[in-house]
Amino acid sequence: MIALLQLAAALYLAAAVASAAGVGLGAGGAVRAGLVVLAAGWLAHAASFVALHGVEPTPQLTDLPMAVSLMAWMVVLAYLPFARRSRMAGLAMGVGPVAFLGAFYAALRIPHAASDELMGAGSWPHAHVVLASGGLALLAVAAIAGAAFLLENRRLKRKSLHPARGGPGLPSLETLDRVNAAALAVGFPLLTLGVLTGMLWVYGTGRGLWTGSAHEIWNALAWGIYAVLVVLRFAASQGARQSALSAVAGFAFLLFAAVGVGMLA
Amino acid sequence: MRLLLVGLSHRTASLELRERFAVDDAEPLLSKLRAGGEVDEAFLLSTCNRIEVLVVTRQLEAARHRLRSLFARELGGDAGAGSDLDAALYERTDARALQHLFRVASSLDSMVVGEPQILGQVKEAYRVAADAGAIGVILGRLFHRAFATAKRVRNETAVAERPVSVARVAVDMAQQIFESLEGKRALLLGAGDMGEVALQALRAQGLHEVDVANRTPERARELAARFEARAHGFDALPELLAVADVVLTSVGGGRPVLAATLVESAMRERGHRPMFVIDIGVPRNVDPAVNEIDGVYLYDLDDLDAVASANAAGRRREVELAEAIVLEEQQRFDGWMSALRAVPTIRHLRSRGEAIRESELERFARRLELSDGQREGVEALTRAIVNKLLHAPVSFLRNEVEREEGLAYLEAARVLFGLDDADAPGAESPLESDADASEEE
Repeated sequence: MIALLQLAAALYLAAAVASAAGVGLGAGGAVRAGLVVLAAGWLAHAASFVALHGVEPTPQLTDLPMAVSLMAWMVVLAYLPFARRSRMAGLAMGVGPVAFLGAFYAALRIPHAASDELMGAGSWPHAHVVLASGGLALLAVAAIAGAAFLLENRRLKRKSLHPARGGPGLPSLETLDRVNAAALAVGFPLLTLGVLTGMLWVYGTGRGLWTGSAHEIWNALAWGIYAVLVVLRFAASQGARQSALSAVAGFAFLLFAAVGVGMLA
Repeated sequence: MRLLLVGLSHRTASLELRERFAVDDAEPLLSKLRAGGEVDEAFLLSTCNRIEVLVVTRQLEAARHRLRSLFARELGGDAGAGSDLDAALYERTDARALQHLFRVASSLDSMVVGEPQILGQVKEAYRVAADAGAIGVILGRLFHRAFATAKRVRNETAVAERPVSVARVAVDMAQQIFESLEGKRALLLGAGDMGEVALQALRAQGLHEVDVANRTPERARELAARFEARAHGFDALPELLAVADVVLTSVGGGRPVLAATLVESAMRERGHRPMFVIDIGVPRNVDPAVNEIDGVYLYDLDDLDAVASANAAGRRREVELAEAIVLEEQQRFDGWMSALRAVPTIRHLRSRGEAIRESELERFARRLELSDGQREGVEALTRAIVNKLLHAPVSFLRNEVEREEGLAYLEAARVLFGLDDADAPGAESPLESDADASEEE
């Protein structure tokens, strides 16, 4: 079971390396191979969920390592359907490392993970984890597209040549900006639903809607920051570079709030 | 069987001369060529940059004469003959002919090396020749290899992927900024030739909405008519910049036409959507500070030229790789052609052996009065002896013929076994042998 997770992590890492080498050297074959390996990693990762379901005691989705693993799996799930469009294959060099880190952390921690004490509040815990992981995954995709935008923008502004011009390369700036916007437009509502279901989960345990835990405070902050970013992006016509920067910075904060705080606790 | 290619191209003939020899319908010409008997297989390629005829022939001199007369009399009409044509026509035979074809199909002999259209044109010309029944075993196989070579060059090198002209670099840069140029809007400022060339290259990629602005309204209208665009004066610049995705400037005069403040306010107007500014004016038409504005990508002539030069250097390396692939494929096909040349000698050798065996067996069978069973046994025995005796020289010829000295061995075999002696048993005419060779392949 854990071996499947380890296999998935290894495949994600291999995909990232192949994709980065392909983009850097202009080798389309390596980029395509990276995509295939990423898809294989995703399948192995999916198989690990099925396998873990049959283990006693079954690791719960509400355990942090399982939730991180689910988020990593969803990042790849959100990316793969679009991977073959408009030179998007090169983005696997950003998706691969994120997925690797999630799967690798889960592979290390799942054997020691303890079930959350708040379990037993109906289906809210699962809804919370699935929705929040989905939101996090999409905001991760937005951040990856944002980081790629910043790299390409810097290169075009400095008029430096692509190291292997003519190769597969990264998507155009416009494509990266659209990916960023689309991922934010879907990811933020999912995150909002994740926050709401989390509150209902806590409420179902009889503690009220707000307990004031560190997890709740940091995530409320992260949600607020994202709300501002969404307004700036869609209502105030923020420029593409600012949007890319916001996506990277916002996701870094959200990752700390949703995962980092849990790890430190 | 020999390969002969005769033609003229952008390297040897002016556009005017090439236009005179261009062929609209190759099929009747190919049929006519084959009907003359000098050529066995034929192919004709006519594009704006080259007119070439490739044939397989057993009579090289006659075929050469026929092809030269085809150019002088049939293709060029009255204006065909003359010193212009003689100077422009080139010939390639055998290995050099097939190397030439492989280079043409792989776009290494094109005016713009790496351009993709030529392979489609060669394929179409091949289809026409095949429909005319002018493609046989040798050209069929040759073109199969030529297409495979072109595919290898495209897949294994980046020869086609590095734009080397300023206009193509501008398109390439635009494609790194925009997902697609379709639906995008261009603004051409000024009436310089370079600006027009770049705009044409952008239009070829789907950019159709064009505004033209010039200091002189008449010139603006003239340009606008050519590009099906709208004409404006410079006073409309703030509004035009707010909607233009690609701005091309090619204005004469010393003062910048586009100041940073003007572009900055246009960017606010357009909601910070990206803008690609190509400054082809000399001196420059756009304030360099424009490149500092978020979402604006300013490339002047030096920037585009630097990219083009770097690409050209990279392309030279890729061309070397591509040439190596062509050479490898040429040698492979040459080996096959050489092996084909050995087939008549080998067949001849076998038929000589068989003829001797049969005549000797006939002579002794009458004297020994063999029964049917005994005769069958002796037949098998003698056939085995002949086969074993010929096995070593035949294998040797097959293996050696692909090497440089292979033809000398073939010649030696013909002398040693008396294969050219017309009175000897099993003698064949050279024409029969060649025909058999093609069939055997």
